[in-house]
Amino acid sequence: MPADTVSIMGIFSSEQRAALAIDGLRETPWIIEQVYSPIPSHAIEHALEPPKSRVGWFTLAGGIIGFFTGFFLAAFTSLRWSLIVGGKPVVALVPFFIVGFEFTILFAVLGNVLGLISQARLPRFETPAHYDERFSGDRFGVLACCSEDEQDELTRFFETNGAEIKTNDV
Amino acid sequence: MEQTLTYKSIDNTVLDTLTPPQRSYWVLVALLFAGILLGAGCWTYQILVGIGVGGQNNPVFWGTYLINFVFWVGIAHSGTLISAILHLFRAGWRNPIARAAETMTVFAVCTAGLFPFIHLGRVWMVYYMLPVPNQRTLWPNFQSPLMFDVVAISTYLTVSSLFWYTGMLPDLATIRDRSHGLRHKIFKVISLGWTGEWEIWRHYTRGYLFFAALATPLVISVHSVVSWDFALSVIPGWHTTIFAPYFVAGAIHSGLAMVLTLMIPLRIIFKYEAIITTHVLESVAKTIVFTGLIVGFAYATEIFIAWYSHNPVEVESFRWRAFGDYALEYWIMVTCNTIVPLLLLFKKVRTNIRILFVISLLVNVGMWYERFVIIVGSVAHDFLPHAWGLYAPSLVEFGIMIGAFCLFFFLFVLFVKHMPSVSMTEMKETLQEGESHAG
Repeated sequence: MPADTVSIMGIFSSEQRAALAIDGLRETPWIIEQVYSPIPSHAIEHALEPPKSRVGWFTLAGGIIGFFTGFFLAAFTSLRWSLIVGGKPVVALVPFFIVGFEFTILFAVLGNVLGLISQARLPRFETPAHYDERFSGDRFGVLACCSEDEQDELTRFFETNGAEIKTNDV
Repeated sequence: MEQTLTYKSIDNTVLDTLTPPQRSYWVLVALLFAGILLGAGCWTYQILVGIGVGGQNNPVFWGTYLINFVFWVGIAHSGTLISAILHLFRAGWRNPIARAAETMTVFAVCTAGLFPFIHLGRVWMVYYMLPVPNQRTLWPNFQSPLMFDVVAISTYLTVSSLFWYTGMLPDLATIRDRSHGLRHKIFKVISLGWTGEWEIWRHYTRGYLFFAALATPLVISVHSVVSWDFALSVIPGWHTTIFAPYFVAGAIHSGLAMVLTLMIPLRIIFKYEAIITTHVLESVAKTIVFTGLIVGFAYATEIFIAWYSHNPVEVESFRWRAFGDYALEYWIMVTCNTIVPLLLLFKKVRTNIRILFVISLLVNVGMWYERFVIIVGSVAHDFLPHAWGLYAPSLVEFGIMIGAFCLFFFLFVLFVKHMPSVSMTEMKETLQEGESHAG
């Protein structure tokens, strides 16, 4: 971000107003730096049109690794003591599929958690300076940056859209 | 419901439950802890003296330890139904009770998980169930349904704990932002620095959806696997293909009843009437009618198939269940699980909180007896008349059972007073958008 830019936070009391402001901002040269919300709002999602999260790939990878881990663990341990039990083959497909299934779910969930924390960059032990504690309660925040000489214009834009203003000089 | 609530009122209602508790709360906690000590004492006595201090003996080697194991795993299931399956179906009424139901799941699986250890007798031999390398290359037998169970229950505990914790993150941040001192520091760490940035929500909503999608087949598989502990044997009354769906439906039936048993007092004590509305309780009650009908259908099918098979052992097994030594237990099971829930077809009954609470208790009792009838009733009266026998739990088993119930309620009571027992975020999601929540 160039040195002569300022970040201005518009704090909204409703998701619709925040979503309208985002829509408006996307038609201007101002950059939306961050959006805060107490809920996963569909209105904001539609306004932002974010790319699809890649968490699912971690989940899928975990699931595939899990199935083969479970199945081959069962097959390997069975082959180490090659004894026919209950008339079933030493490498019995049906029972080992059940072990494979449970491992699929386990590893897929572990992959899902890994994907979530790596993609969302959690854990974070410091909250940003511009963070407002009401964002976890009942307020929606839109942080946008503009050049210093457009500061008043951006502030007016937020106020017109019904926002409370919080400024952070950069 | 939604019209009277705002974002702020939801936060305030839930955060008010986290104020320092009164003395009566700590008295309850102390009583439950005393119950846990009783159970722990009985278990210690059993370890020192031997498994023989329990009432299990030839021919009934699977007694209350297995009954309680199946009972608590079953209780856990409705939590996942509510948090995962109903989430996928977008059933809005699950939101106010989802957190408490998930909590119930986690603590019920923990309680259930103790019983295989207790039933082992020589608990230090537990590593035999784990696939650890050893000098005799002696591995667990993964062809056995008991090993499926080890894998399934461990997976279920891990998955439901992670699902529960992940779902709590936004609420933990809400508490962090409204607390000071030590509590602020603790919640700062356990909320993982959640800020509600859109970038986090984007990945979170996707991850949460996958959690629900994975927990759904898991919950069905877990009680199916538990049912195969029985169904894959050749014991009459156990060896039946209906067991998996029958157990899953029964598990959800008992779990929903436990949700009501927990929610109704919680609603009164924490003044959650605006959040956990009569409509929510009514929806749970309607689902209980549905699961009760499935369970009733399963009971009838078992008897029909025994008659239709012309297998004398099977016929005798079911005749004895209904009219033999455990006939009382059998008819308690049938009455509480299938007949009593039919009362919930009447709106007046469904909307009467006291009656609803009593019915939920009766279904819990009925489902405990269902496991008694299935587990004890089958091995007590199998193929050979000279091998038939009866079973009654010993005092040690009663002590351990009391301890297990106290452990579950102890954990639950501690949780609801120190953590958000209603998901504030999911409640806010259900609100109609507009100026109503402007605060």
